[in-house]
Amino acid sequence: MSAGSFAPLPGAEGAADAATGRPAAALLLERVSRWYGNVVAVNDVTFALGPGITGLLGPNGAGKTTILHMLAGLLRPSAGRVMIGGQTAWHNPSVYRSVGLVPEREAVHAFLTGRGFVEMAARLQRLPDPRAAAARAIATVELEAAADRPVGTYSKGMRQRVKIAGALVHEPSILLLDEPFNGMDPRQRLHMIGLLRSMADAGRAILFSSHILEEVERLADGVLVIHAGRLAAAGDFREIRRLMTDRPHTFVVRSSDDRHLASAFMAEPAVFGTELRDGRLTVRVAEFGGFTRAVARVARDAGVSLFEVAPTDDSLESVFAYLVSRR
Amino acid sequence: MIFAEIARVTLRALLGRRRTLLMLLLAGIPILVGLIVRANGPGVRDVGATLDGLVVRVVLPLVALVFGTAALGSELEDGTAVHLLTKPIRRSTIVLAKMTVAGTLTAAMLVPSTLLAGMLLARPDTDAFSTTSALAIGVLVGSYVYVAIFVALSIVTSRGLLIGLGYALIWEGILAGLLPGSQVFSVREYVRGIAQILSPEAIESVVGSGAAAYAAIALVAATVIASLRLAAYEVRGSD
Repeated sequence: MSAGSFAPLPGAEGAADAATGRPAAALLLERVSRWYGNVVAVNDVTFALGPGITGLLGPNGAGKTTILHMLAGLLRPSAGRVMIGGQTAWHNPSVYRSVGLVPEREAVHAFLTGRGFVEMAARLQRLPDPRAAAARAIATVELEAAADRPVGTYSKGMRQRVKIAGALVHEPSILLLDEPFNGMDPRQRLHMIGLLRSMADAGRAILFSSHILEEVERLADGVLVIHAGRLAAAGDFREIRRLMTDRPHTFVVRSSDDRHLASAFMAEPAVFGTELRDGRLTVRVAEFGGFTRAVARVARDAGVSLFEVAPTDDSLESVFAYLVSRR
Repeated sequence: MIFAEIARVTLRALLGRRRTLLMLLLAGIPILVGLIVRANGPGVRDVGATLDGLVVRVVLPLVALVFGTAALGSELEDGTAVHLLTKPIRRSTIVLAKMTVAGTLTAAMLVPSTLLAGMLLARPDTDAFSTTSALAIGVLVGSYVYVAIFVALSIVTSRGLLIGLGYALIWEGILAGLLPGSQVFSVREYVRGIAQILSPEAIESVVGSGAAAYAAIALVAATVIASLRLAAYEVRGSD
């Protein structure tokens, strides 16, 4: 399958920050907070992103959509500065010449055909040849076969793709996507990953939100971890991955002799507690990697057969909470 | 081109089958009443007052309310407006296109309805034409003024339909009649005033010759407020 290709952007580093003279970051949040009444949705977040793909990772309700909406100029920050393409995002429709947004909500007029929707986007962007631009964008998301059907008849994944076509019809240098893989089947996901990769390789800045760790790991160069409105971690994915795994973990172990195994575990430096209750052995370990490497050896040396070793607190929520508590 | 594009899609969205049918039924009520009156007797002497009660007081604000709040407000509610808001377009262009389509649709239904109902209602021995056409022009202007106000209202609040209904029924229907001087804030009075300017015999109006100026001020004010509020519009439903 082809993932569509994008020409390198002319002058991708052209925009400079007027104040400093340095090349402006494509996306910039500076001490940004956003609250609704007494509820703080985003709390003192700062980051700057250039070209490449960045994943905005966090559980549902963490503030990812609020951040994307502030970057897209659809929400005013309560405090701080939000810049996109070197310009203020809020109250500045001219930024949309170089920005594409794929919102999470599916709303597209059901009566429009896919082609009609993308051509409308092209005309509203004042493109010289809206038909040709729309046809290119539709081909890019592989929606040609269904392009002349009303959007109302589309599956969730097709609606997602037609929105992406509408957002990239003017070949923006910045693309913001809110949970773009929701509703896509594995083949479409793979295609979309290839497409976004090729757009990033052409010098575009892409920020997408997701609550699925593996999605972000497969696609993103960098990652921003958001939890409860705060930036829990930012940077290279491997670093985040290490932080996520090198944290206290709890495992449930079933074996042929739990009591014997428990005492053997206590001799291991990676283990700092064991508990036998209701016929279940629970092991608390300081560090994920060290324990998983040691567990088979310890059991063998103790002459115990392992039936099951399962981490108990592997939900993303607890990972995020841990990252936040470290700061 | 941008204006035409927004107008085209707005028209498609507004002409949803059920809504259009319902509005056509509403616009048909004065004609129906006219037919009943014509079938049962010689017709009414005071066409102006009858049309005022039928069209200006009830049908015009209701049809304008439905189209006015649907043109942009329902798109803001269901999220389809995001695709429009994230384009490099002046917010006033969006507002003007929405108002033009909803206003024209309202007028297209109610001006013929007013003319036809007036002709049917009038006694054959009275000269109802000047009265009817004066009111029809008042309804034409009123369509755009009402719609402009309701479009602005739908941007300011998500309860535009309810507040608009309150304005038409409670403010215009009851309070504006009780509080002297408050009629200058009543679109219904502008419609009557414009009819009176065109045909002094047609109808009595409190605002009188100032009606056209009031209507123009209301139209401009609603457009400006709607444009400013849309420029500062914040999406709902962020987490």
